[in-house]
Amino acid sequence: MLIKRTERQARRGSLASAVANTSGGGFDRRTFLRRSGLAAGGLAALGALPLSSVRKAEAGAPPAKGAAVTIRKNICTHCSVGCTVIGEVQNGVWTGQEPGWDSPISRGSHCAKGAATRELVHGDRRLRYPMKLVNGQWTRISWEVAINEIGDKLADIRAKSGADSVYWLGSAKFTNEGAYLNRKFAAFWGTNNSDHQARICHSTTVAGVANTWGYGAMTNSYNDIRNAKTMIIMGGNPAEAHPVSLQHVLEGKEMKRANMIVIDPRMTRTAAHATEYVRIRSGTDIPVIWGMLHHIFKNGWEDKQFIEQRVYGMDDIRKEVEKWTPEEVERVTGVPGAQLERVAKMFATEKPATLIWCMGATQHTVGTANVRAFCIALLATGNVGAPGTGANIFRGHTNVQGATDLGLDIVTLPLYYGLVEGAWRHWSRVWEVPYDWFVERFDKSTAADGKVTNTMNTPGIPSTRWFDATLYDKKDVSQKDNIKAMMVFGHGGNTVTRMPQAQKGVEKLELLVVADPHPTTWAALAPERKNNTYLLPIATSYETNGSRTASNRAIQWGEQIVKPIFESKDDNEVMYLLAKKLGFADQMFKNIKVENNLPVVEDVLREINRGGWSTGYCGQSPERLKKHMANQKDFDMVTQKANSGPAKGDYYGLPWPCWGTPEFNHPGTPLLYNTNLSIKEGGGTFRARFGLEREETLPDGTKRKVSLLGNGYYSKDSEIKDGYPEFTLGVLKKLGWDKDLTAAELAVINKVNPTTPDAVSWSIDLSGGIQRVAIEHGCIPYGNGKARANAFGLPDAIPVHREPIYTPRPDLVAKYPTLPNRREFRMPNIGFDVQKSAVDKGIAKQFPIILTSGRLVEYEGGGEETRSNKWLAELQQDMFIEINPIDAAERGIKDGAWVWVTGAELDSKARMKALVTERVGKGVSWCPFHFAGWFQGVDQRPNYPKGTDPIVLGESVNGLTTYGFDPVTGMQEPKATLCQIRAA
Amino acid sequence: MARMKFLCDADRCIECNACVTACKNEHEVPWGINRRRVVTINDGKPGERSISMACMHCTDAPCQSVCPVNCFYTTADAVVLHSKDLCIGCGYCFYACPFGAPQYPKVGNFGSRGKMDKCTFCAGGPEADNTKEEYEKYGANRLAQGKLPLCAEMCSTKSLLAGDGDIIAQIYKERVTKRGYGSGAWGWQTAYRESIAT
Amino acid sequence: MANLFAHIRFMLGALALAFIIAMATPAAAQQPSSVNPTASAVKEQQLLQELNRIQGRISIPDARAGVLEQPAGRDWRNFHQVTLRWIGGIAILGMLLVLVLFYLMRGMVKIENGRSGRKVVRFNQHERIVHWMTATCFIILAISGINITFGKPLLMPLIGEPAFAEWSQWAKYAHNYLSFPFTIGVFAIFLMWVGANIPNEIDSEWLKRGGGIVGKDHPPAERFNAGQKLIYWIVVLGGTASAITGYLLMFPFYATDIAGMQLAQIIHGVVAVLFVAAMLGHIYIGTIGMEGAFEAMGEGTVDVNWAKQHHSIWLQEEAQKGASPAAKGRMAPAE
Repeated sequence: MLIKRTERQARRGSLASAVANTSGGGFDRRTFLRRSGLAAGGLAALGALPLSSVRKAEAGAPPAKGAAVTIRKNICTHCSVGCTVIGEVQNGVWTGQEPGWDSPISRGSHCAKGAATRELVHGDRRLRYPMKLVNGQWTRISWEVAINEIGDKLADIRAKSGADSVYWLGSAKFTNEGAYLNRKFAAFWGTNNSDHQARICHSTTVAGVANTWGYGAMTNSYNDIRNAKTMIIMGGNPAEAHPVSLQHVLEGKEMKRANMIVIDPRMTRTAAHATEYVRIRSGTDIPVIWGMLHHIFKNGWEDKQFIEQRVYGMDDIRKEVEKWTPEEVERVTGVPGAQLERVAKMFATEKPATLIWCMGATQHTVGTANVRAFCIALLATGNVGAPGTGANIFRGHTNVQGATDLGLDIVTLPLYYGLVEGAWRHWSRVWEVPYDWFVERFDKSTAADGKVTNTMNTPGIPSTRWFDATLYDKKDVSQKDNIKAMMVFGHGGNTVTRMPQAQKGVEKLELLVVADPHPTTWAALAPERKNNTYLLPIATSYETNGSRTASNRAIQWGEQIVKPIFESKDDNEVMYLLAKKLGFADQMFKNIKVENNLPVVEDVLREINRGGWSTGYCGQSPERLKKHMANQKDFDMVTQKANSGPAKGDYYGLPWPCWGTPEFNHPGTPLLYNTNLSIKEGGGTFRARFGLEREETLPDGTKRKVSLLGNGYYSKDSEIKDGYPEFTLGVLKKLGWDKDLTAAELAVINKVNPTTPDAVSWSIDLSGGIQRVAIEHGCIPYGNGKARANAFGLPDAIPVHREPIYTPRPDLVAKYPTLPNRREFRMPNIGFDVQKSAVDKGIAKQFPIILTSGRLVEYEGGGEETRSNKWLAELQQDMFIEINPIDAAERGIKDGAWVWVTGAELDSKARMKALVTERVGKGVSWCPFHFAGWFQGVDQRPNYPKGTDPIVLGESVNGLTTYGFDPVTGMQEPKATLCQIRAA
Repeated sequence: MARMKFLCDADRCIECNACVTACKNEHEVPWGINRRRVVTINDGKPGERSISMACMHCTDAPCQSVCPVNCFYTTADAVVLHSKDLCIGCGYCFYACPFGAPQYPKVGNFGSRGKMDKCTFCAGGPEADNTKEEYEKYGANRLAQGKLPLCAEMCSTKSLLAGDGDIIAQIYKERVTKRGYGSGAWGWQTAYRESIAT
Repeated sequence: MANLFAHIRFMLGALALAFIIAMATPAAAQQPSSVNPTASAVKEQQLLQELNRIQGRISIPDARAGVLEQPAGRDWRNFHQVTLRWIGGIAILGMLLVLVLFYLMRGMVKIENGRSGRKVVRFNQHERIVHWMTATCFIILAISGINITFGKPLLMPLIGEPAFAEWSQWAKYAHNYLSFPFTIGVFAIFLMWVGANIPNEIDSEWLKRGGGIVGKDHPPAERFNAGQKLIYWIVVLGGTASAITGYLLMFPFYATDIAGMQLAQIIHGVVAVLFVAAMLGHIYIGTIGMEGAFEAMGEGTVDVNWAKQHHSIWLQEEAQKGASPAAKGRMAPAE
């Protein structure tokens, strides 16, 4: 003790003297601002301030170990913002985390998850080795045994039930390379039953937005929101789901004194910082938007020139919108006309304006139509294709954008080529595997009329309905047999609606393989399942190299921070091992070097570059991406452009489309469809994707053809001063530009299609020559077209309001019914019957409270990973339901008390805590969707392998959610259903 | 001489809890000890504001004054630190603290308090800088490495500011002028006996 | 007391607020036609003026963490650092001063007729065990308690911080653990002697005549005279109050919030110093203040002449009982 005292006094003395000694060498103002992440915050006049006097660091010597510190840079895995994670590694152990100040996206910031992310690699609750369920007991096995047994079982199922009986569920947590390999794997296995989380988060966004103007992605960027004068956030709560994005939103709001309008059924944490909050009824987004457009058209606030030049079919919208008088809008949505008029005026006249949305908009039976309505509102007011405008779609996971792009999807091969023969032939050429080889790998299905189709060209089964495909009668599923095996890579088991059905589905599967850092809900949900279940420990993204695409289409290269812990392997290695076992590794990895069973990720990315023309994934070579990560500091925070340094002229992360070969050095496209820049500098036009013209029938029965190409508008420096179609060799020839192609390029084009080389387009030209030449002439390869207000071909070409399947307003169903029953994605969709029966049975009386769901900042997705993180789990220890004080009082429910919530279907019930709050309106309740591990009142903790159970367990909201699927994508409807709540 | 302070701009704070987990991460703070926390006032109502709070390192700190064993000391940067060798876990600093900063690990059978733990402004404790002993008792000493507290450095919206009081007051003042509103420098009147005129 | 007042003000404020919320709820739940959340943001100064405390919601299951600010801590510090030291200083030093002066003036109260050599049992073994257990605990509790309030200015400069912290640590453990036997002792004392400590007319006569301490008079008294009864009730009530408030502090947040704990600490501190002062008086009378008194609790017996002088009524009662076989042996010669 006495010694301590001496030490302490010495310490006090040393601090004082140290400070005195460094009075000139401490933090200067600049250093301080940088370390506060405020340097770029526009704080100029601070010159006269006294200097801080903290001692200068020699080196950031972390606690005591004394070992050398290696700094590694990766990307946070918890949402799509793409925050830089800086790991300090000592002796192979991740010992510290520092802010990534240089990132132009995150500027050092994190949310709770990002700031706690180091724990994932400590992995207290991670799977340590492969395991297998033997008569209900989890048993340790070796990797070799696991791969062998799984491979043999897969081969059996394939022989017996066909390739389509195995479902390959991938992950938005994959790197781009992992996602690509997973999709490629499914193609080599011979099925389109390959999906990932995008199905349940933004599949409707991708479909709706792509069908409007060409590409289904965020048009602008998080950073660009700083330029907006008006922002509407509708069906999203980025304060909790994308906290670092709020840095841009709030700073933009402050700097520009911008209007920030939140439209949501729930007064979210985001709404708390808005300048206007509009409360709506869940599932009435279209009437709200139409209500706004009603005011806009009535008052002539629309952008007439923009519509004339760049939009097709706005008159059809006018007709639909006329029906939505302020009275009808208020009757359906609950929003008063005066408020909506004010919002509409701001949106249309205080420009630039942007619309930000998330899963509140997409997770509905009308998800695609909702998203289409949002795009139409942007088009009508001319708010697309310029800084501060656009559809700013906040995606959910680190790499959900990349995994979507790379085709982890049931309707397309990588990069949106679709499933048509041309798409297969394109990828066959890239992979250098004969097309016919794939034709043989797929099942053939015979329709009732005897017509045989190869399932390689038919969309697969969406992940929202895998268990229907397992449980339904075989004849109702349009493939050779039911789903018999689930191969789940990095995907929670509690993220899909109707979990009581999912539980039965899990019980019935012949094989369940969970390849994940955690056992996940899949392992614990169905205790009746006793065998044929394998758990493979997978490394997190921090334990692997590769690129990730953030929501703004920017691609960032992540370095492996530490080697996979325990016996974990990364996804790529497992896919290689499985491919080897199944016998197609040589073909699949033909152009990819494999070292010690690990595919070289740079090679994978180069292969993506070689095939990724359609979406401009062709210019982002690993070398260029690594250069960006190493020189993050050179990029401007608002424009994202490097004004100096080795990457000078590039936009950060080469946001796609990044045209041409890497050598072409395209800077990437920070804003889609921006005609103020030449294509070579990242500009663009709407994509001519929907044909050149369309035949319309006028009211008098006469027909006329209407052009779908741009009308008198074009991007900067374009040599064609009007709309034009997509480029092919034939088009180049017509323009006389084909002579600009090099001989080598021409040779490749001729090789792509030796019979009719003129038909070779910009998207399948493996030389990149057609793209290069078009861009040299200031033209965009995909053509200059109009965006579609009328998206002919979709079930609702003009978005119309349709009540949720389980609506609290049965009185409105007659006028606004859901779509008729139909077959889609190999399955029947009986939404209409379900809605009708709910109305007939008076479900809305028995279950009078709207149930909707959303994110908590502490957790992500299904939550197994984050609920296993002790630093996060401490902050949210119980599943809860938000309930309005009036509803609570009527039911005698106190804040913090236990309640039973019952769902409108399948006799579902869940026990959770009540959070009584005015955040939700009367008649509305809200649950976070990250919990699992309790099911229908039963604690399932014993079902997890010992030591791998998440710290926090709770009921899943999807134990209560109900039937309903978007007709375009199979999206589920968890955002608008019904429940009843009573005190427990 | 710098006077270190915290300032939480409640008009920026979105209760993302990054400050909380950054603190846990940096100092390996155990479950149940919350050196920093975020409290939401008027939760769910218009006007809702969240404030991140930890030890404010008060001027004339009440904890220091009431401590029966004088375990607190104020550094030249005006950071209020304490010695766990001296602390007896009496709980008096908790009664005196206006911000609920002192935390006590539960030891023994009847909720009796162990040695107090609190925010150190990432400045460690009396032991030699960045030693194992210092880390184990108080966590990392970032100040001695020329870094600021990690909670503020990682704040998602740059709401939480840490550093020289004059500089952060100036930053806050400019923000309020620029945007035209501000709900106040929470805790400053109580902790520092001053407010920021805006 | 400022803090107590603040506490009450807080409670009233909270009630008022709850009432306002209750009234406002139906209206608030209606669809608001225009809400600008930024413009209606809560302001710190306004909240502090209303309640002198700011409280909100927090996701961790630790209710106390929901209190964001309680400037009352500063008031409490003032109590602890200033008020309590004055009260304690005046009470304890004042009592010591009074006793010294009294001793100088009065000296030891002698047994007027000298010792008779005959003893009478005053406290049986059970009573003495209880008394000494409680007394020992009390002394340790008092010293360790006084240490918390006065140790820093008085003792620490003498022995240094580390030694003082070490000692204080043990003192804290002693204080916490000995509270249990002390509480049991107080309870036992209450049960054991409550019958003999009900105030009656004899006491008022005794008090009127100055109890024999002031002046030379020796008013008659039962087993316990009014002064002893006063000590008894100080022990029972003071002990109970110290115990209750002490346990509130020892089990933080089980029964109270931070304001309640501050209040508990104030009561604990004030009661304790007054208790100590009173006990100093008790110790004085039981030792150097009065000849023949200590042996009552020391050996359990007193000289008959002592008893005659101070507890004449009780002695008579004992003598009568002595005739009965049941009480045989209670009067016995000194060994």
